[in-house]
Amino acid sequence: MTMPIRSFAHPRRYPPRVTEFTQPFWNALTEGRFLVTRCARCNHSSFPPKPICPACWASEIGWLEVGTTGSLYSWTRVHAGPAIFDPDLPYAIGVVDLDAGIRLACPLVGDAIGWRCGMPVELVSCIYEDGPFYAGSAIVASSA
Amino acid sequence: MTQRAAIIGTGAIPVGRYQTAPGAPIQVVEHELLAKLIVDTVEESGVERARIGAVVVAQPRPYTRQQYFSTFLTAYLRLPCSGIVMEVLGNGLTAALAFDKAVDEILLGRAEVALAVGINMETAVSARDHMMESMRKTGDVDFHAPAGFTPISWYALDMQRYMYEHGVDRALVASVAVKNRGHAALNPLAQFRKPITLEEVLAQRPIVEPLGLYEVPPRGDGAACVIVASEDYARRLGRPYVVVRGRAFHHEGIHQLADVPTDMIAFNAAAKAAVSAYDAAGIGPEDLDLAELYAPCTIVEVLASEAANLVPRGQGAHAAAAGETSLGGRIPIGTSGGLTSRGHPSYATPLYNLIELCDQLRGRAGARQVDRARLGLLMNELGNYNAALVHVLEAAG
Repeated sequence: MTMPIRSFAHPRRYPPRVTEFTQPFWNALTEGRFLVTRCARCNHSSFPPKPICPACWASEIGWLEVGTTGSLYSWTRVHAGPAIFDPDLPYAIGVVDLDAGIRLACPLVGDAIGWRCGMPVELVSCIYEDGPFYAGSAIVASSA
Repeated sequence: MTQRAAIIGTGAIPVGRYQTAPGAPIQVVEHELLAKLIVDTVEESGVERARIGAVVVAQPRPYTRQQYFSTFLTAYLRLPCSGIVMEVLGNGLTAALAFDKAVDEILLGRAEVALAVGINMETAVSARDHMMESMRKTGDVDFHAPAGFTPISWYALDMQRYMYEHGVDRALVASVAVKNRGHAALNPLAQFRKPITLEEVLAQRPIVEPLGLYEVPPRGDGAACVIVASEDYARRLGRPYVVVRGRAFHHEGIHQLADVPTDMIAFNAAAKAAVSAYDAAGIGPEDLDLAELYAPCTIVEVLASEAANLVPRGQGAHAAAAGETSLGGRIPIGTSGGLTSRGHPSYATPLYNLIELCDQLRGRAGARQVDRARLGLLMNELGNYNAALVHVLEAAG
């Protein structure tokens, strides 16, 4: 279930904070694996990862590696953004529904893509100079 | 009979640019603006100053230098209170919460007269700098802000999805901006009053695709004051007033997006709160004469009008384009000019929407008066932030 990995020659514009709890997520992401939290009591999967199950409030939480293909629920391209994102303008962002039943919001990467709702996408691991993040990308049709 | 809360006075300054640049030799200061507005509004309403027992202030933006604005303001006005003096904050609902809390003070019998006030100063801060702060107000700051989400980017996501699901194009939704500018042309409080065409709206530079400059809210400063009282007191004043006939709130326990797929454009919180407010008021949406919606973007007015059941699902943009929601139409929406043209001094905006409804229900709306307006909907809802506070207001007195 390894994700494609893309490298970027600059730091993340607005780096997330890593906590003791979320560190396994970021470490796995660096290796191209996407983890979500799963409740050991009720099996609810959640993202972003959290140490409490939002469904049943249990604290017995484990990590689940999930497949990273899904579909694009919606998208936009931002032309006026926060000052720190100036170098990226315009940039695309979207909401992705993973086949694994998880919804998340993330950047969209890939050149000259005509984004459209409902299109198949996959998550890619983005490696920046200072650490990882994740993004949606169009699935390139395989010749296999 | 249970006591009802009545709105007996309103005042606001025209939405615009008031905030001065940090280096300007002569500054415009927030409390001078707001204190003058409060004194004028109280005087115009005929309320005795000594009857005011509560002051609820919408917490100003961080760019307002004066802090602890509530007790500072009551000191500035030498206004002792035994109800409450406080600031409230709650995303875009902030000024609506000020009103809601002022109403509560009346309903609880803690005050005979209560003030809900707000001032928003932000235009000396550039949009790109402002968004450095507002991006931290969308989603999870460690999982969404790094992607560059901004508050209105969520509405752009809604817009793309709406076009996809309902097969409508950008122009149909953009007709909302043209309609609201027509309303703003008749509103002395509006920030932008020159009529615009659909072609002009569509030709603006993109902000968050597919929304362009005229489909998203302008930035603006403003100050507003609403006076709430017991209905007994309102009757004694002997002037037209407005009563809160129904009120409801709902939040789904979702902030922007759930961790499982849901229907993001149903605006479920708004739909549920609207039904509850109609039930509380003993009316149906068909009984309403007009509505003021907290709709920062064209698409939000469409989605909120559908959630409130003012128009059928998927028909909001069609209804706007057909004139159903225009002044003179079946159910006028945003007779103030809405957030895109009346303006969006955000932490005061819900009070401006309330003032428009009160002007309409008290027959003081001049050229934009809705004929025989008796029942109005005030819907403050947060779109994907997912909370909605709904009031049904009725003309009285």
